[in-house]
Amino acid sequence: MNPVLAADITLPHINYGAIAPILILLGMACVGVLAEAFLPRTLRYPVQVLVSLVAQVAGLATIIGLALSNYAKKPTLTAGDALAVDGPGLFLQGAVLVLGIVATLLIAERSVERGGAFVAQAAVTAGSEADAEQARRQPSQTEIFPLSLFALGGMMLFVSANDLLTMFVALEVFSLPLYLMCALARRRRLLSQEAAVKYFLLGAFSSAFFVYGIAMLYGFAGSVKFHDIAVAAISSGKSDLLMFIGLAMLAIGLLFKAAAVPFHVWTPDVYQGAPTPVTALMASCTKVAAFGGILRIFYVAFLDSRWDWRPVIGVIAVLTMVIGAILAVTQTDIKRLLAYSSIANAGYVLTGVLAMQKDGISSSLFYLVTYGFTVLAAFGLVTLVRDQDGEATHLSRWAGLGRKAPVLAGVFTFLMLSFAGIPLTSGFTGKFAVFSAALGGGQTTLVIFGVLSSVLLAFPYLRVVVLMYLQEPAADAPTVAVPGALTSAALAIGAIVTLLLGVWPSVLLDVANSAAQFVG
Amino acid sequence: MTLAEQVQYQSATGALSSVWLLIAIPLASAAVLLLLGRKADRWGHILGCASIGASFVLGLWYFFTLRGLGHKAVSLDLFNFIQVGRFKVDWGILYDPLSATFVLLITGVGFLIHVYAVGYMKEDPGRRRFFGYFNLFASAMLLLVLGNSFLMTFIGWEGVGLASYLLISWYQDRPAAATAGKKAFLMNRVGDAAFLVAMFLMFANLGSTDFATVFNGVGALPHGVTLAMALLLLAGACGKSGQFPLQAWLPDAMEGPTPVSALIHAATMVTAGVYLIARSNPIFDATSLGQTIVVAVGAFTLLLGCVIGCAKDDIKRVLAYSTVSQIGYMFLAVGLGGGAYALGILHLLAHGFFKAGLFLGAGSVMHGMKDQTDLRRFGGLWRYMPVTWATVGLGYLAIIGIPPLSGFFSKDPIIDAAFARGGWQGWVFGLAALLGAGLTAFYMTRLFVLTFHGKKRWTDDIEHPHESPGVMKLPMILLAVGSVAAGGLLVYGGFTTWLEPVFGTTEVPGHEPNRAMMIGISLAVVLVGVAIAWLLFRRGTALVEQPARSPIVRAARENLYGDVFNETVFELPGKLLTRAAVFFDGKGIDGIVTGLAAIVGGSSSRLRRLQTGFVRSYALTILGGALVVVAALMAVKLG
Amino acid sequence: MTHVLAHPLAGQVLALASPGAMGTGEKVAFWVLGIIALGCAIAMVAARNAMHSALFLVVTMFCLGIFYIIQAGPFIGMAQIIVYTGAIMMLFLFVLMLVGRDVSDSLIETLRGQRTAGILVGLGLAGLLGGGIARALGSIDAKGLEQANATHGGNVPGLAALMFTRYVFAFEVTSALLITAAVGAMILAHVQRNGEKKTQKEQSRERFAEGNHPAPKAGPGVFAHSNSVATPAILPDGTRSARSISPLVEPRELTAEDTRPKDTLTGGGNQ
Repeated sequence: MNPVLAADITLPHINYGAIAPILILLGMACVGVLAEAFLPRTLRYPVQVLVSLVAQVAGLATIIGLALSNYAKKPTLTAGDALAVDGPGLFLQGAVLVLGIVATLLIAERSVERGGAFVAQAAVTAGSEADAEQARRQPSQTEIFPLSLFALGGMMLFVSANDLLTMFVALEVFSLPLYLMCALARRRRLLSQEAAVKYFLLGAFSSAFFVYGIAMLYGFAGSVKFHDIAVAAISSGKSDLLMFIGLAMLAIGLLFKAAAVPFHVWTPDVYQGAPTPVTALMASCTKVAAFGGILRIFYVAFLDSRWDWRPVIGVIAVLTMVIGAILAVTQTDIKRLLAYSSIANAGYVLTGVLAMQKDGISSSLFYLVTYGFTVLAAFGLVTLVRDQDGEATHLSRWAGLGRKAPVLAGVFTFLMLSFAGIPLTSGFTGKFAVFSAALGGGQTTLVIFGVLSSVLLAFPYLRVVVLMYLQEPAADAPTVAVPGALTSAALAIGAIVTLLLGVWPSVLLDVANSAAQFVG
Repeated sequence: MTLAEQVQYQSATGALSSVWLLIAIPLASAAVLLLLGRKADRWGHILGCASIGASFVLGLWYFFTLRGLGHKAVSLDLFNFIQVGRFKVDWGILYDPLSATFVLLITGVGFLIHVYAVGYMKEDPGRRRFFGYFNLFASAMLLLVLGNSFLMTFIGWEGVGLASYLLISWYQDRPAAATAGKKAFLMNRVGDAAFLVAMFLMFANLGSTDFATVFNGVGALPHGVTLAMALLLLAGACGKSGQFPLQAWLPDAMEGPTPVSALIHAATMVTAGVYLIARSNPIFDATSLGQTIVVAVGAFTLLLGCVIGCAKDDIKRVLAYSTVSQIGYMFLAVGLGGGAYALGILHLLAHGFFKAGLFLGAGSVMHGMKDQTDLRRFGGLWRYMPVTWATVGLGYLAIIGIPPLSGFFSKDPIIDAAFARGGWQGWVFGLAALLGAGLTAFYMTRLFVLTFHGKKRWTDDIEHPHESPGVMKLPMILLAVGSVAAGGLLVYGGFTTWLEPVFGTTEVPGHEPNRAMMIGISLAVVLVGVAIAWLLFRRGTALVEQPARSPIVRAARENLYGDVFNETVFELPGKLLTRAAVFFDGKGIDGIVTGLAAIVGGSSSRLRRLQTGFVRSYALTILGGALVVVAALMAVKLG
Repeated sequence: MTHVLAHPLAGQVLALASPGAMGTGEKVAFWVLGIIALGCAIAMVAARNAMHSALFLVVTMFCLGIFYIIQAGPFIGMAQIIVYTGAIMMLFLFVLMLVGRDVSDSLIETLRGQRTAGILVGLGLAGLLGGGIARALGSIDAKGLEQANATHGGNVPGLAALMFTRYVFAFEVTSALLITAAVGAMILAHVQRNGEKKTQKEQSRERFAEGNHPAPKAGPGVFAHSNSVATPAILPDGTRSARSISPLVEPRELTAEDTRPKDTLTGGGNQ
């Protein structure tokens, strides 16, 4: 009827090269799903591990290629301005993948727990005879690999999204697989399923805030693009009350994912209930993604209104650091302890973010990577301490480990020292970077609270060390499993990077600094 | 003052370009000892001693090289640690007279104590690991004094803290040792946090923590910033050096093996605070209020340490409080500024010798007395341990400042300098220092007499105390020689001139006091202290435990008469003061620490209750948070 | 293809919306439907029976769909009605009926203050947002969709243009979401069956085989000492649920003898 219409639409130019890393991850995830459907059961595990690692390594190689071919210096927008290929975006994508590869090694481990850390059939009623049977005999289900690829792809999309709509879709793309993966523990399945349901319900709740925020900002700026919002913030004749409501709602959605107080409540339960490799993935990669989103929104869309909202987010940062540290003190479960530590660490990154300067970006990027590696190694070690019920995560069970397993205890001590921010570990250089950036940005109060809370946090870390070395092991003390090749590799990478970035941080800080320029 | 002069370091050439070996050798040895495991058990202690000995020899070589140089401050850039925009940190070494002096102290005294530990730790199955930690400590301490930036110093600072923590908790099966280790770690963290914030201030204001950049830039900073930096550095120094109000961990740290107490908690690590203040002299020189606070902290701590030292019955704790008190003297000196910096360092060196000697002597006594530490259970030991008696005796004479032993040359000038400050401050600080000297004489005489003289008050299980083996005796003798000679040698060897390039002057600020009169007065005060202690304790002291055999009962009764007399005449006022001080120390400081812990723990368990596990309660928390965030952001806009 | 079908519809409804002023019909529709939508939304949260909740939600969504149509968004309005009320909510209802339409949740709140605080905070947030939005939009004239709809020749082509130009990537990426959802459903619901399915006869034999207890097990959520019909179920707060037993049966305390496990095969209580 109206032949003119077709000509009206010009398809946007999509620079496939620039978004190749995301496409590789999502595409390979689909390959993984197909492999699941068509391959015989015995072949699935090796093929999935291969697909998963190849996808991530290829994605990482592409990102490095893009960064070297000057995308970091000359950022572009593509796919109808929906995606930004710029320095921070590429850095964060790379960080997600590097940490993702290590987490995948933990996920793929099958010798520590026979058959892997995941349930064979999640639909079998927990605690039934069939469940006991499958826990004994059947290997983990392999859908976990395509799911983790989807999650990682979603995170990469999330950190490069240039408008709120794409960001929201990406948020869901990486959240949904995580909800599922949380439910798949082989042992303590009810706890795991409960964690998944909690994460799902609260995640949906926070997504609702995020969407509401998008609506407010669209009402304010007439667009969901970050750049348009930034322009509207300066020039719009409309009351910017709408903008602040929108900002508040967006921040709630993002701070939920980043586990900042008071949106952190899900973290301990979910970190504890989820299978430990998935917890490791969440603590490292999700944190990178969430802060990638926060950085982009704050530095691109809301840079000019920072004087108004910075105090509010600053209070959240202080609460996050202090409450995370205080709650860590009385924890009796190692996974919960690490969960609260990750909450406090979210506060440290937020401190760096709030510098609202270039080195605020670079120091936050740096911190995210240092923390990611350390926490991956820490959770990797948690998988090794086991008794007949699976992982022995209660702290009292860790007494005397220093004598039973000196190497494990030594590495764990080193990681704890890094968390406590002792020099020559990446924990120190990371904290140093974010705190000095925050001081440069005039956030003295935040730094004071940061230093205080890190002093406080040293106590629970130290308690674990003391427990391992200075107490007698119980008679029925858990055994320490011999890590398989994959876990060993993951642990070695995590510990070595923690040391390397503590001794020679400029390797990464240089990269982070040259990447710290958003396009927008 | 030399404030206007630019601080410049030349880059190292020739022999001095290998100065990093000082740190690397003990570090490599520590790595070998700790990584090789049991394989190294047989020869581990030899390697441990050899590495520190090698460092000492190298240190001597570098020292003489430096003496021959015109410009006495060389720096050596090792590699670029962090360089991103403003954020620039290099790994580098600064070798100047101050660090050279510390290197010799650390490696020299360190070597002797390493040798001593070979004998002392002979029975301990973990001797190799002990030497590993010991070498780790030495390399961290060397890094601390050789770094060319505050950050490098801080890394060493944390390293010695870690080694100290590991070594205090050495006897892990003793709960007291574990607790002491924790206490040391926590209290040190408080100081470390202050140090860290000071570094952030430097970064924020000057863009670097390099000594050169900071010292050259500090003059241009507003006074408030300088003062804040100075006080934060002081707080850091107080944490590490056991000064008020962070002194409580140091006496508890005596739970570690005696060589540890001697090396780490007497001679070297605890003096790191003095080093830090002396090193940061341009910062402190720029704020006279900051300096006065340093002096006040020093004066208060030196009295506090003395008074508590009088009340303790544990030989190592008396020595520990004595350390607290002597470091108070050093703080007092470096707080006075100018040429008094050098006096502080001089006292630090002298103290390093005689206090290490005293601790080794105490260790030797314990070695012979089945690891007992109770002064009330010693007595009459001089006959059984003549070498220990002689070496401790010389150390004792040195610490109380009898001429011509080293304490006389190092402590008296500090008292003079305190009086020389003039005005009410001169009187207050001078009298405090003088009173401290008298009290030191009192408690040290008490310790010496109760240990070596008077009647035997041994517990039943001790039949024949024995002298320590040669490998332990030799270091004690050498340190005793040091205690005798170090002071005079240093003073007449031009030590203050040697340090002039660092502090800029040898002039002690204030007017010149009447030297002869001052010597007379302080000697008189010291002799009064000695005399009182001798009169009170030459017959021994009361035993707290109910004695089992009749001769001891009689002896105790005899003492009892004396005690009544003592109590009414001398002890009551002292006791009250002591009690107050101990109370303050125990309840006040410990109370704050424990109270803070209780507050944290309490609020933690209360907050934990919010974590109910019910998803609807979590959702409510999130909703509440959302309400507050939205309200706050709207209020920002509307308000 | 799509725009050919949708275009006339869009043209017709376009007349409903005009920028700025609001017609009387639109006003009436807004107030009537608005009250219904809000009332049903509240009723959905408050209803005890899941079935009722679902039906209330259907009504709310239907009202929203009509709103969209009135606002000159006919496509999204119809999509709302067809997809949400027609497909998704009906699926919900089927599931509920399969689970058992009589099942109603216990609404007894065990957390002290939870409900009050929830209502207060919810009202507070609603008040803040409502007040804020009213204040922010008070001085703004509505533009309407006329211009936007005209650009590409209609509502549906306009949407299509957005979807295939500016948001094409977001649109495509939702496929990842759908794949994940499908895989997730498979993981959480699919049980691999090993061997043949048992016939009813075999099941029945198994049930009465020696060593097995033939009576049904207690229902979920019932903390039961015994299988007696006279034992009431216990609600989460510890009180007895009157609805768990037949009104004809007298609830009674059970003695130890009553609650002792009975061995049905050997004659149980006669020993």
